[in-house]
Amino acid sequence: MATYFRRVYLSFAEHVLDVPPRLLASMIFLILLAYPITKPPLTILYVLSVANIMAIFAASWDLLVGRTGQMNLGHALFFGTAAYATALFCKFFNLQLWVTIPLGALIGVSVALIIGFPCLRVKGPYLALVTLTFPLILISVVKYFREITGGEEPIINPRFFPGLPMYGKQLADYYLTLALLFVSGVILYKIANSRMGIVMVSILDNELASKACGINVTKYKLLAFAISGLFGSLAGAFMTHMGSGASVNYNTYLGVALSFQAIIIAIFGGVGTIYGPIAAAYILVILDMYGLGKIFGWFASNNLIPASIIQIESSMHWIMYTLVIIILIIKWPRGIGRFTTDKLKDLQEARELEERGKHIWKTYKRKKEESEHASTRS
Amino acid sequence: MTQRIRKKLATRPVIILIVAIVAILAAASTWWYYSTPADRALALTKIRSITIFGLLAGGAYALLALGFTLIYGVSEVVNMAHGALYMLGAYVFFALTVSFAPGEMLVRFEPVLLDLRLALILAVILAAIMGAIIYRLVIHPIMGDLLATLVATIGIGIIFQEIMLIQFGAHGTRRVAAFVPGSITILGESVEWNTILSFALSLVFFIGLWIFLSKAKIGKAMRAIAQDREVAMLMGINTERLCMLTMAIAASLAAVAGIMITSARHAYAYPYMWYAPLYMSFAIVILGGLGSIKGTFMGAFIIGYAEIAVTFMAPEVVFLKDAVALGIMVLVLLIRPKGIFGKRIEMEE
Amino acid sequence: MHLLEVENLTKRFGGLTAVDNLSFTVDEGEIIGIIGPNGAGKTTLFNLITGFLKPDSGTVKFKGEDITRLEPYRIVNKGIARTFQVVRPFHHLPTIANVMVSLESPRGSRKIEWVKSPERKALELLEDVGLTDMMLEPAEILSHGDLKRLEIARALATDPELLLLDEPFAGLNPIETDFLTKSVRTMHMDGHTMVMVEHKLHALMKLAKRVIVLHYGAKIAEGKPEEIAKNKKVIEIYMGRKA
Repeated sequence: MATYFRRVYLSFAEHVLDVPPRLLASMIFLILLAYPITKPPLTILYVLSVANIMAIFAASWDLLVGRTGQMNLGHALFFGTAAYATALFCKFFNLQLWVTIPLGALIGVSVALIIGFPCLRVKGPYLALVTLTFPLILISVVKYFREITGGEEPIINPRFFPGLPMYGKQLADYYLTLALLFVSGVILYKIANSRMGIVMVSILDNELASKACGINVTKYKLLAFAISGLFGSLAGAFMTHMGSGASVNYNTYLGVALSFQAIIIAIFGGVGTIYGPIAAAYILVILDMYGLGKIFGWFASNNLIPASIIQIESSMHWIMYTLVIIILIIKWPRGIGRFTTDKLKDLQEARELEERGKHIWKTYKRKKEESEHASTRS
Repeated sequence: MTQRIRKKLATRPVIILIVAIVAILAAASTWWYYSTPADRALALTKIRSITIFGLLAGGAYALLALGFTLIYGVSEVVNMAHGALYMLGAYVFFALTVSFAPGEMLVRFEPVLLDLRLALILAVILAAIMGAIIYRLVIHPIMGDLLATLVATIGIGIIFQEIMLIQFGAHGTRRVAAFVPGSITILGESVEWNTILSFALSLVFFIGLWIFLSKAKIGKAMRAIAQDREVAMLMGINTERLCMLTMAIAASLAAVAGIMITSARHAYAYPYMWYAPLYMSFAIVILGGLGSIKGTFMGAFIIGYAEIAVTFMAPEVVFLKDAVALGIMVLVLLIRPKGIFGKRIEMEE
Repeated sequence: MHLLEVENLTKRFGGLTAVDNLSFTVDEGEIIGIIGPNGAGKTTLFNLITGFLKPDSGTVKFKGEDITRLEPYRIVNKGIARTFQVVRPFHHLPTIANVMVSLESPRGSRKIEWVKSPERKALELLEDVGLTDMMLEPAEILSHGDLKRLEIARALATDPELLLLDEPFAGLNPIETDFLTKSVRTMHMDGHTMVMVEHKLHALMKLAKRVIVLHYGAKIAEGKPEEIAKNKKVIEIYMGRKA
C-alpha cells in the first residue's frame, strides 16, 4: 500500500509539477561550490554572484506570478526596499550586516503585506498596472527624504567581511550568495510543490472554484505576497553589499528595468516552475554581463566579423537585447524553458508509448502462441 | 460597517464622482472659511484658478489617456508603449520644427523647419503608421497572453527610449515649440493659448470618437469586437484589420497628446519622458475603468482637478503632485477596483 | 429545526428581478429538486445561498445560523458545498490534486485521518465517482462527463452536510447519467442532504422527494414529483398555453 502511494506521489510530481532529477540539481550545486578552486578571475566571480542574486529574485517572482497568478510588474519594490533599509541601518545605526540584512528583509515582508491588501481585489491588467507603480511611489519617497536617503546620490555600503583582500571579499560574496540561492531555492521549490502550493495553483487557475472548495483565498494570496516579498527582499539586501560598487540608488534598485529583468528571466526559464527561472538567471546574467561582449570580441579578433559591429553593438546594446526579447516572446510566449520542457515531455511520452507498445505486442504474441498450443493439443 | 459602505460605493459609480467633486470643493471652501477677509480674496482667486486650470488639465489628461483606454477596450491589450508613442509625437514634432545641432545620430538628417500645423499632421501620420506596425508585428501574435503583451510592449517602449537616446541625446535641450504663442486672460486668469488648445482638442476628439463609435459602421464594428471578439469574427468582422486601425487611432491620439502637452508646458522632449504619461494613463484608467471612454474622461478630470487643487492650495508640497494621481489610484483600488465605469467581472470568469 | 431556511430572498440586477421573495426550507436527509425554465433564477439562488452573491433582502439560515452575509469560503466551511453549472476545474493540476485543494480547507482537513494522508482520502473520493484511472492526468484533458464527476468529488471533499448540485446531469450521456443517479443515491444514503437544480426532468424526478418550481424568480409550485408533473401551471410554463 505504501509503495503504491509513493509511486502515486512521484509520478504525480513528475507529470505535472516538473520535478527535475534531484541528482542533477545536487551535482550542479556541488560543481558551483567547488568552482572557485580553479581560481577564476574576479569579474567571473562577481558575475556569478550577481547570477545567484538574480536567480532568487526571479524565483521569488515566479512563486507569486507563476504559481499564484498575481501579476506583479513591480517586483523591484521588495528588492529596493530591503536594499535601502539595510543601507540606512548601516549608515545611521552602524549595525552589523548580519543584523541589518534580516531587518531589511523584515521591512520588505511588511511592505509586501501592505501592498498585498489593495492588490487582493484587483485582477489581471489592473493588477499589472498597479504593481508597476508601487516602486515609483517608493522612488518619490526616496527623493522626498533626500536628507536621509541621499536622493539622487547613491549610499555607499559596507561589504561582507571588509577586512579581507579584494579577491577574498569577492569569494565571500560568491559563497554567501550561493548559500542564499541554495537555501532560498529549496524553500521556494518545496513551498511551490507542497500542499500550500497546490492551493496556490488553484487560485491561479480558478479563484472562484477555489473559494467554493472552502479555501480562504485572501489568506493564501497574502501568504504568497509575503513569501515572494521575503525572498525578493533578501536578494536586494544581499546585493547592495556586494561587489566593488556596493551601493544603493533608486535607479538600479527600484527601477522598471529591474522588475522587467525578473520577468524576462522567469519567462525565459518557464513561468511557474521555480527552478526554470533559477537556471535561466544563470544563463541570462552570464550572457548579459560577461558573455555577449566576449562572444563578439572573439568573433572580431578572429576577423570573422568586421570590428565596426562591436561599436554598433555597444551603443545599441539595449536595443538589440530588447529586440531579441521581443522576438522571443512573440515566438514562444510561454517562454523557451517551458517550450523545451514541453517538447521533452512529448518526446518522453512518445518513448513510453513505444515501450508499452512493444510490451503489449509481446504479450499478445505470447497469448496467441498459448492459445494455438492449447488448440493444437485439444 | 465599512464593508457595507464599500458595497454601496461599489454599486453606484456616480456616488464616487459626486463624492470626489464635493470633497475637493469642501476642502477649498474650508480653507476659505478659516481665512481672514484679507486672505479671502486670495482664496477666491485660488478657487478660480483651480476651477479653470483643473478643467484644462483634466482635458489634457483625457487626451492622453483616451488612446490607452481605446486599445484596451477593443483589443483587450494593455499597451505599455502608449507613453512611447506620446514621446514619438513630441520628438518628431520637435525634429521637424526646430533647428537643432545634430550630434552623433543614428540616422542623420538635416533638420527641416516646417510649418507647425504641417509638422503636427506629419507626426500624427507617422505615429499612426508606427502604431499599426506595432500592432501587426508585435501585439497580434500574442494577443491573448497578458504577460507576453505587457513584456513585449514594455520592450517596444524601451527600444523607443534607446533610439531617442542615441538619436537626440539624453540632455534636455530639445525644446518643443509652442504651438500657438501667447496667452489670453479668462476671468482674470492668464491662460496660455496652448493649454486651451489641448483642452479644446481633447473635447473635439472625445466627441468625435463618441460619434464615430456610435454611428459609423467601422465604429460599431469596433464596439462589437470590444464586447465579444469571437462573435465579432463570426459576424464577418475583420478583427485583425480593425484592431490595427484602433491602434493607429490610439497612436495618433497619443502623439497629439505628446505634442500638445509638451508644448503647452514649454517642456523638453527627452528619452525618458515616456514613463510619466504612462503612469498617468494608468491612474486615470484605473479610476475611470479600463475600456470605458466615459470613465476615462471622468477619471482624467478628477485627477486633473485633484492635482491642480494640491498645487494651488498647498504650494509647499508641489512636488507631491505626481503622488496625488498615484494616491488616488491606490484609494480606488481599495474601494472599487473596477474603476468608476469599469466592467464588472464578478461571477463571469 | 430545518437544515436550510431561505426566507423572502430577493435579488435584483438593475431592472431584472432574478429572485423574487423566495422562501423554502430543506430538512436533513432530503433530496430537493429545483426546476424551472431557463432564466428562472436557479443558479442565482445557488449563488445567493453559497455567498457568491449578496441578496437585496431576505435571509438564508443554515442550522439556525444566519449565513446571508458570510463570505463563500466561510459558508463552505460551515457545511454547504456546491458544484458549478459550467465546470470549473483547476486545469493545471492533476485530477487528484483538484480534490486535494478541498482537503486543504479548514473543514476538509479537520478529520485527522484525512490530514495524515490527503492523497489517500482524495483517492477514495475519486474511487467513489469513478475517476481513479485519470488520477494523475492534468484536469484539462478530462472529458466533460469526467469533469462533472470531478466537481462532485471536490465538493464532497469538503465534508458537507448540504450539497448543492447545479445541473449535474447536463451534457452527460445515458451511461454517465445512470452512474450519476446511482452516485446521488449513494451520497444520500451516506447522509448528505441534497438540493439539485436540473433540466433533465426524468433524472430529477427519479431522485427528488420534493420539487420546487421557479418561474421568473418566484416559487410557483412545490410538492412531490408526481404532483408537480400534473400541475397545470407548471405544464404551462414549460409547454405554453393551448391557444
